[in-house]
Amino acid sequence: MTAAVWNRAVVKCAVAVLIALLRPVAARAEGVYADSVPAVAAVVERPVNSSFMFDAGGAQILDTYLTPIKYSGLNLRIGYERLQAMKFNPHGWVSQIEAGVEYQKVHNAPGNHTMHSLMCEFQWGMMHRWRIDCMPGLQLMAGGGTRFRGGVIYNASNSNNPVSAKIHWSVNLQGMAVYNMRVGRLPLTLRYQVTLPVLGAFFSPEYGQSFYEIYLGDRGGIVHCGWWGNRFDMRNLLTVDLHLGHTSLRIGYRGQIETSYVNNLNYHFFTHSAIIGVSGEWLSLRPGKGDVERARIISALY
Amino acid sequence: MASISLMLVSCHDYEEFANDPQGNFDALWTIIDEHYCFFEYKDIDWNEVGQRYRAQVRPEMTSEELFDVCAQMLKELKDGHTNLISSWDVSRYWIWEQYPENYDERIIDQYYLNFNYRQASGIKYQILSNNIGYMHYGDFGSNIGEGNLDMILSYLAACDGLVIDVRGNGGGFLMNVETLVGRFITEPIHAGYISHKTGPGHDEFSEPYAYYFEPADDYRIKFMKPIVVLANRASFSATNNFVSIMKMLPNVRVVGDTTGGGSGMPFTSELPNGWNVRFSACSILDATGRETEFGTEPSEGYKVDMSESDMAAGRDTILETAFAAIEDMTASGI
Repeated sequence: MTAAVWNRAVVKCAVAVLIALLRPVAARAEGVYADSVPAVAAVVERPVNSSFMFDAGGAQILDTYLTPIKYSGLNLRIGYERLQAMKFNPHGWVSQIEAGVEYQKVHNAPGNHTMHSLMCEFQWGMMHRWRIDCMPGLQLMAGGGTRFRGGVIYNASNSNNPVSAKIHWSVNLQGMAVYNMRVGRLPLTLRYQVTLPVLGAFFSPEYGQSFYEIYLGDRGGIVHCGWWGNRFDMRNLLTVDLHLGHTSLRIGYRGQIETSYVNNLNYHFFTHSAIIGVSGEWLSLRPGKGDVERARIISALY
Repeated sequence: MASISLMLVSCHDYEEFANDPQGNFDALWTIIDEHYCFFEYKDIDWNEVGQRYRAQVRPEMTSEELFDVCAQMLKELKDGHTNLISSWDVSRYWIWEQYPENYDERIIDQYYLNFNYRQASGIKYQILSNNIGYMHYGDFGSNIGEGNLDMILSYLAACDGLVIDVRGNGGGFLMNVETLVGRFITEPIHAGYISHKTGPGHDEFSEPYAYYFEPADDYRIKFMKPIVVLANRASFSATNNFVSIMKMLPNVRVVGDTTGGGSGMPFTSELPNGWNVRFSACSILDATGRETEFGTEPSEGYKVDMSESDMAAGRDTILETAFAAIEDMTASGI
């Protein structure tokens, strides 16, 4: 690369930074859709980014209420995710709703016992969005949210401790990086998200307490404040949306870590799964609510 | 972030044992050491027991040899709820094998029921010739339907008394105890206490929690006349719980032998080689706060064994004593 080429690149970058600083703040959050709309828009439309995902992979579960032996096996999940720019500041804030149902079928090492786990969860969060002007297509988001997750792990071999009930509500920190790019003529959206519960409440029976005793009314000491001293969970999500037309093919990876240690009971729950799904943006048009043709479309993700 | 998470996860480490004779033995010993609930009550030195049997474990021993050593170690607990379960055997300590059976179903069926009886919800019942109702409930694992109980008790409602025979009933679901007892009470009763382990130490227990049984709904059929419960050493676990609760009721006498006990609620765990181990994990006390792990005695004056001469004559000594007990209660205005 010659000095002249370097100089042109530096000048281009400096001009880009200058333009970015001079642009109105409201214009910064426009995505690939926003680049193609008129400069003066009558209304702002916030399409809903919806996706349905199917996960398949491996799971490893240790729950010493049921057994001191680590079990491993299959993890399946179906989930729905909804992302949308928020109405009060569509350029700067994004809301996220997730719901999912998971099933794990795991075995002990000798292979003569099986545990089944069924979990449901619902998560809501909102994140502030920053566009990195010197790197078009890149968005960084950070915020918080809350998650409710509940289910049971069932060990058919056990007598009066056949199930371990899991109920967990948490307040989370979450961050996301999104990068819209093209490979050849194919537009792609890369997304990495980390969700980190920091506080919450969760259920755990006492060390040797049966659910029959809880049924009889002895419910002291079964609800715990969850914090990093007794519980650590983390979720990593990496997806690639391949924009093949009006809908996109989503592939990716989801990794879950759940651990708790309370009442001398140890719980580890790890999953690593591949994701396949479909995603797309849906716009609800409202006649009489403005000039749709001239609407500024602010996407949450793309 | 990843390193922080790994550090936090590692805080929750736990002990893993190898899948070899030594590892499996140590896993078994540790499970019992940390979870069994009767060490202090039975005055068992588990460390000494472990040393004695660990000396018999050799790396080259077969699975069957290891099973035998482990089974012998568990028998030191003298607990009918403690079993080691492999693919070829279940180790056991069944106390009733050491005592007279005190029950012959054939005598009841032939000489008292004339092979003519009804059955519902696992309960065999009939009105005997002396107008005493008879119910035999052989397994608390058979769920009792409230509607079935209504039918049974309405059929027996005109009887002068009721015999509930739970001899040979090895236990089952405690929920069935509550369902059945609810038909013989009109007010909530203090049924007992339950206590669980709060940690791995031998003395780490929760405060005993008093639990209560409610009577069945008002529109359900109840039986409040004299009742006799027949028990033997094979009346175990949930049946022992049933007998200990019924014994407290003023219109009830327990006749026969001491029950087999089994007041520890069993949990199950497993070894690295896949064998299951079942053990008493929670202690259920009677309403006086007394352990009934070694059985509930009959009511005072009603300890009876089946006599061989009676059996030869087709008589059930314990059932005959029950008839006398009902007469006594009726005569005394109960």
